[in-house]
Amino acid sequence: MDVLIDLFSDYTLRVVALGAAILGMSSGALGAFAVLRRQSLLGDAISHAALPGIALAFLLTGSKAPLVLVLGAAIAGWLGTLLILAVTETSRIKYDSALGMMLSVFFGFGLVLLTFIQKRPDANQAGLDTYLFGQAASLRVSDVITMASIAALALAGVAVFWKEFKVLSFDPDFGRSIGFPIRRLDIGLTTLLVISIVIGLQTVGVVLMSAMIISPAAAARQWTDRLGRMVILSGLFGAVAGVTGAALSSAKANLPTGPTIVVAVSAIVAVSLLLAPNRGMVWSRLRAWRAGRRLRMDAVLMDLFLLATQHDSAEYPHDRRVLDAMSFPRGATTRNLRLLEDRGYVQRIDATRWALTAVGADRARMLAHENPSEWRTA
Amino acid sequence: MSAAVEVRDLTVAYRERPVLWDIDLIVPEGVLMAIVGPNGAGKTTLIKAVLGLVKPAAGEILIYGKSFASQQRRVGYVPQRGSVDWDFPTNVLDVVTMGLYGRIGWFRRPGRADRTKALHALEKVGMADHADRQISQLSGGQQQRVFLARALVQDADVYLMDEPFQGVDATTERAIIALLRELRSDGKTVVVVHHDLQTVPEYFDEVLLLNVRRLASGPVGDVFTEENLRKTYGGRVGFVGAPAGSPPIANRGPLPERLGGVSRSREPSRN
Repeated sequence: MDVLIDLFSDYTLRVVALGAAILGMSSGALGAFAVLRRQSLLGDAISHAALPGIALAFLLTGSKAPLVLVLGAAIAGWLGTLLILAVTETSRIKYDSALGMMLSVFFGFGLVLLTFIQKRPDANQAGLDTYLFGQAASLRVSDVITMASIAALALAGVAVFWKEFKVLSFDPDFGRSIGFPIRRLDIGLTTLLVISIVIGLQTVGVVLMSAMIISPAAAARQWTDRLGRMVILSGLFGAVAGVTGAALSSAKANLPTGPTIVVAVSAIVAVSLLLAPNRGMVWSRLRAWRAGRRLRMDAVLMDLFLLATQHDSAEYPHDRRVLDAMSFPRGATTRNLRLLEDRGYVQRIDATRWALTAVGADRARMLAHENPSEWRTA
Repeated sequence: MSAAVEVRDLTVAYRERPVLWDIDLIVPEGVLMAIVGPNGAGKTTLIKAVLGLVKPAAGEILIYGKSFASQQRRVGYVPQRGSVDWDFPTNVLDVVTMGLYGRIGWFRRPGRADRTKALHALEKVGMADHADRQISQLSGGQQQRVFLARALVQDADVYLMDEPFQGVDATTERAIIALLRELRSDGKTVVVVHHDLQTVPEYFDEVLLLNVRRLASGPVGDVFTEENLRKTYGGRVGFVGAPAGSPPIANRGPLPERLGGVSRSREPSRN
């Protein structure tokens, strides 16, 4: 747990962690909207498209100041998005193909530029390649301040246009019919998404940044059914993953930051997919299993009731093998009878014969009344 | 009698293919009007064009004699149920409140008064006890009622509804038609894309028979005739580029049975 101690004592690490928390929060919050609008992969395209922007910004200005590079990234990311839309609207190429095409064209161009820069006899070029997989350790206080201001802007945008963005995400046609400028809102929200992506590139890198857009949101959706809570939770998950990954990568011998953050966020996703109440796989399996068991149990109870109605008393005992013959699949009768016995619905009369108890007979009448079509009652 | 909606020479095309061709239509104020026609006839497109959601290639649309943009608040829209993701993280009351977003104004959140209005609309469609329900838990009929409630809170004068009866059970259908009649008696105008030809005379005052072109429109008693229906659904409609999926031209068997077979699609009611 030295990492945890370092987090509080080490100045550099604190700066790094703060930067990672900020980027995680904004990409998580904006990612929630992207995921709900089925634009998960747009984030991937934007982050990859940003690479040539970073390289060109450096080539044109000769500066490696993050603000300059981020600006270049944002412009390139935006351009990529516009081109995707233009291709989709003016040709028969589908959205996913346009997306994949722009992603690889821009990323490939970015790699070419990056290689070109590195081949130049210029000592200043070192370090641009960290934008591929990210390097949290390179964050300085000034970078974090820049990130924080931009992220604050993006999050404020979400807060101010909350109801507009909600309608845009849920039912854009209806939004237009009540007079919302849906196209401009779309451009606005996409711009905020671009912003939240580019501020993460220095730390996480262009290759894996999309994980910070998609994963926290997918995890958050598991835990809540309200948009507000989902956006906040998604931001929180992003921040936690960012801090964990950044701290681990800067504390331990040069682990690349992006991949480490992705591992952290994937752990959150895995836990959410499995354990979240309602939507979690573990609980829904358990619920399905319980419902199945209850249904099989009730089937035996109703068989016993059906047999007993042919006699004077509802508590008339019957042989287990008769029930066995009525039930499908065979063989589980004894187990179901024991479960019913545990609940006080049936009692064992002798080695092979069972009878309903008064409580059991009441339950059978109730079931028959509630769902007459489901049970073969006399 | 003045016109709630007036459409003049409306033509809409997707790429080179016309979806609506030279439509003229007058929807009188205070009537229930059905739009009927085969799949691909352009029913949804017509509604969307009136709402400004699709851009016409030519033509003019007037709401109470003025442009849609200036009359926006007087128009309510009920989209097709399947047009949204019902797994969106929100609840019933929230969706209905969206109907008020247009008049709440920028930078402001819905308040208590807005929620009260939304609850009132939910009462009208018999969904008040579902206000807190997550929308993914709703049945098809309940989803439809939620959309209706969202339109009701808009307190519009003209309602455009895209298949509000699609996939609902008989009980919900009766509830919806009762609601539409109530709207009419309040002086509202309701235009409904409808699929069940058998119920047109019972439910509606006016009807538009549409298959890319307008085949006929007017009071149900005057224009809802076998001859016009055959023109709409059956024989070649005189338009060469009839959209794919138009029903076959061949006319076998008596018309009412054939039409009944085309139109009826209802879920069996549960319990």
